[in-house]
Amino acid sequence: MNVKEDVLYLPSHEWVKIEDDTAWIGISDYAQHALGDIVYVSLPDVDDQVDKGKSFCDIESVKAVSDVYSPVSGVIVAVNQELEDTPEKLNEDPYATWIVKVKGTFDTSDLLDAQAYQELLKQEG
Amino acid sequence: MSQLIFELSRDGRRCVHLPKEDIPSYSLDEAFKKTDPIPLAEVAEIDLVRHYIALSKKAHGVDSGFYPLGSCTMKYNPRINEEAAALPGFALLHPYQPLETVKGALVAMDHLQQALCEVCGMDGFSLQPAAGAHGEFAGMLLIRAYHQANNDHKRTKVIVPDAAHGTNPASASMAGYDVITLPSNDKGGVDMDALKSMVDDTVAALMLTNPNTLGLFDPNIKEIADLVHEHGGLLYYDGANLNAIMGLSRPGDMGFDVVHLNLHKTFSTPHGAGGPGSGPVGVKKHLIKFLPNGTVIRENGTLTIKKGDAQTIGRMRSFYGNFLVNIKALTYILILGKEGCKETSLNAVLNANYMMEKLSDLYTVAYPQTCMHEFVLSLEHEKNTHGITAKDISKALLDFNIHPPTMYFPQIVHEALMVEPNETESKETLDRAISVFRHLYSLIEADPDLLRNAPTSTPVRRVDDVTAARSPILKYIKPE
Amino acid sequence: MAIYVPNTKQQQQAMLDEINKTFDDLIAPIPKNVRLDRDLNLPEGMSEFEALRIMKGYAEQNTVYKTILRGAGAYVHYIPSVVKHLSAREEFVTAYTPYQSELSQGILQSIFEYQTIMADLTGMDASNASVYDGATAVAEAINMCIEKKQKKVLVAETVHPETLETVLTYNQFLDHDITIVPSKDGRVDLDALRDMLDDETACFVYQHPNYFGILEDATSIGQIVSQSKAKLIASVNPISLALLKNPRENHVDIAVGEAQPFGLAIAFGGPYLGFMATTEKMVRRIPGRIVGQTVDIEGNRAFTLTLQAREQHIRREKALSSICSNQAHCALVAAMYANAMGPQGLKEVATSCYNKAHYFQEKLQEIGYTLTHAQPFFHEFLTDTPISTDKIERHLSASNILSGYPIDDHRMLWCVTEVTSKEQLDGIITLLKEVSS
Repeated sequence: MNVKEDVLYLPSHEWVKIEDDTAWIGISDYAQHALGDIVYVSLPDVDDQVDKGKSFCDIESVKAVSDVYSPVSGVIVAVNQELEDTPEKLNEDPYATWIVKVKGTFDTSDLLDAQAYQELLKQEG
Repeated sequence: MSQLIFELSRDGRRCVHLPKEDIPSYSLDEAFKKTDPIPLAEVAEIDLVRHYIALSKKAHGVDSGFYPLGSCTMKYNPRINEEAAALPGFALLHPYQPLETVKGALVAMDHLQQALCEVCGMDGFSLQPAAGAHGEFAGMLLIRAYHQANNDHKRTKVIVPDAAHGTNPASASMAGYDVITLPSNDKGGVDMDALKSMVDDTVAALMLTNPNTLGLFDPNIKEIADLVHEHGGLLYYDGANLNAIMGLSRPGDMGFDVVHLNLHKTFSTPHGAGGPGSGPVGVKKHLIKFLPNGTVIRENGTLTIKKGDAQTIGRMRSFYGNFLVNIKALTYILILGKEGCKETSLNAVLNANYMMEKLSDLYTVAYPQTCMHEFVLSLEHEKNTHGITAKDISKALLDFNIHPPTMYFPQIVHEALMVEPNETESKETLDRAISVFRHLYSLIEADPDLLRNAPTSTPVRRVDDVTAARSPILKYIKPE
Repeated sequence: MAIYVPNTKQQQQAMLDEINKTFDDLIAPIPKNVRLDRDLNLPEGMSEFEALRIMKGYAEQNTVYKTILRGAGAYVHYIPSVVKHLSAREEFVTAYTPYQSELSQGILQSIFEYQTIMADLTGMDASNASVYDGATAVAEAINMCIEKKQKKVLVAETVHPETLETVLTYNQFLDHDITIVPSKDGRVDLDALRDMLDDETACFVYQHPNYFGILEDATSIGQIVSQSKAKLIASVNPISLALLKNPRENHVDIAVGEAQPFGLAIAFGGPYLGFMATTEKMVRRIPGRIVGQTVDIEGNRAFTLTLQAREQHIRREKALSSICSNQAHCALVAAMYANAMGPQGLKEVATSCYNKAHYFQEKLQEIGYTLTHAQPFFHEFLTDTPISTDKIERHLSASNILSGYPIDDHRMLWCVTEVTSKEQLDGIITLLKEVSS
């Protein structure tokens, strides 16, 4: 399972890439694989508040639905509209496919780095 | 492949003709008037008949073959039920006829309510809910009304086992409850320690299916009921699996306060490709006053229909429930009688255990022990070793005219196949199914591709569900 | 009698022997403290001959009226013979929900056709496969409109009282605020509606034709509501859609209703058929099953249940509705009915209802039954009565006629459909003259 190096993770398999006061959030390769063929993403709205550890949208496969939790708190400044018509992008290239872009001041202290996330995946088998 | 009815349409073709109009025409204000054509197909009666006969041939009912679909109780649907429901004295009654002109309907409904009370050990029933999930929702509202009437407002949670039908948490949620999930123990029953840690004075109810969705009767049921009651909560019984225990054990005696039944399961009314069902809700004495409006009740010795009582939860739908479905169920109960109910359940349990025993040397039984009316197999090992899934086995069964078991449920069993043979299947049918299941198992080693490519004899091959969900086409659009 | 168990006692014993168990072993998992230690207190089982005799006895205690002038949510229409016969095909009757698409193409296609019919008649983009009835369809539609900041629900006073009661029941423990929009002379008070709509309003529900058979000013309602953030829900009679503008033209977001008039017997209130159709934008919020078109691995057209992640078996406590079993067979009947009638037939039915109701109203007016509200109507209308409604009901009943529905002691809601002839209507007027004088 592919684990991208330069992003941080939640144990619930979301990644966040942070540059100053901007964060991009997506789901990991493990997450997209576990979900199977993704058929729909119920995208949140721009200007919605996201809270660390809280769900901000859900992702549907044919036979499952899964919450996406936010690794950081902030305000959504953009959503990836591409996902409306091509949710499969989350399957095809999970790390290049962000779901929302968030502005804020981020506390990253308890997020997992790539190595720690890799460890977690090993434990989960 | 069948054409859609719209593709068969030819301008000007007609099926039904109406009598010549013997009344003058009255004009309708243009503001209301439809201006575009009525978008319906134009076919002749012969087109219509051939169309639907062709469709019926691409369907599989209990009458077509073995249907061991777990949790759904696909038992034989006796024809006599249909005849009873078609009697003009039932089918042609207007719901708002004066009550004195529908005495027989009220008596029949009361008769059914009484019989269900006896089978379940409850004190009152309402036939208003239209289906099982609707009965569950009614049950949750009843529980909420009960606590409110006791000025007990802190109960905001309902406990639901992880193996429960999805309707349980959804119904609790519709009544405004927070759902907390109760894990199963290693024997497939309620984890008593977990339950003890969850039950407190914020819990309104525990919803339970018993036997549960693994087909197992919970050995601690009495203790569970006592525990919940001690903390002031109520017990809700999901009656989906009642077919296992008629005449053997009763939810009311186990300690349940509220039950719903699926008459389209245990009481043999046909499923109709998804409905209509009927989901009566039954209660103990202390909840009777909350039953919905539209319920047949006895007032000063006379049967009438409940309306506008201050304490009722209200009304679950219009009128009095799926009346004709209830008539079918009553006919069935009359024929079964007391010994028939018990023999029905005993044979449902026998057929399940027989089939489980005859498969358990090959297939992994998720929780190996004596089951009730159904059992759950797991293909997890086969998936890991050979890449053959529960879906593969299911699709291969289609080529043998056997409807597959329920797949991927309960979710706590990986690669689950939930098998419910029913009492209305003969040893011969079971033996054939057993040999098919065994044959398919042998193919996991011998010819796994055959399983992966199945089915091949059905009107279509494996269907692309992903495309269907990604780019939904939900109605026919006429090509330009 | 367990007459539906095919295995003989000998076979049962042989099976028990083969698995090395007794019946006692099989019920051993049921703890002794919850076993029923007596027989059920039910009569002995009986033959179907005897059971049918009992059921016929019950049926015969009921009055089957020859002529019915009562609607109020349950409408008598002619059901073509072909519909009755085809819908009784056992494959349709005894199948379960079509979860196994390969074996259920016939069922799935019939539902897809039903969805197309309901969506097209209402002018909407998509329909679900049915819900329990018209009243629950309204309650479910309201649920589709609730947003975090929009929890106020407006319901027209002129909807069927049982629909309103169902809506109140569904919402009684939720933080939704249900408010009634008053009526003025039998129709929605448009000024009140305009005043009551605000940014927190999730939706407005009206019925058209309304409970009193009156045609609402659907155009104005559509204009008013579409200028707000609120969604518009209309409960409509499918027969009327052959004559009236469809809900889409009236800016409706969710069209729902009771489709019993499409080929289903009045059956003392059930089983009936709740239909729901909506816009593409809202389709992922619609409750219940939906069939979609796709292909199989060989590229052939195929149908399957789709958008299932909305539903309770996947979304569990987060699902918008708990509905599982629906009214599938009723939907099949409705689709067969629509296909049998065709555009011309349905138009004739609707026109005949309209004309006969208006003819009868005219005749009633002549003998002193005045319209309570002088408003346009479809096939149902409310009149004041010169004598007590109870007296009218009893008098007509003596001639095997079910009168209009007594709303109270002096107002009656009459319904006339295509099945009642002019001759019968004239006869009823004569009977009413007798009792009025």
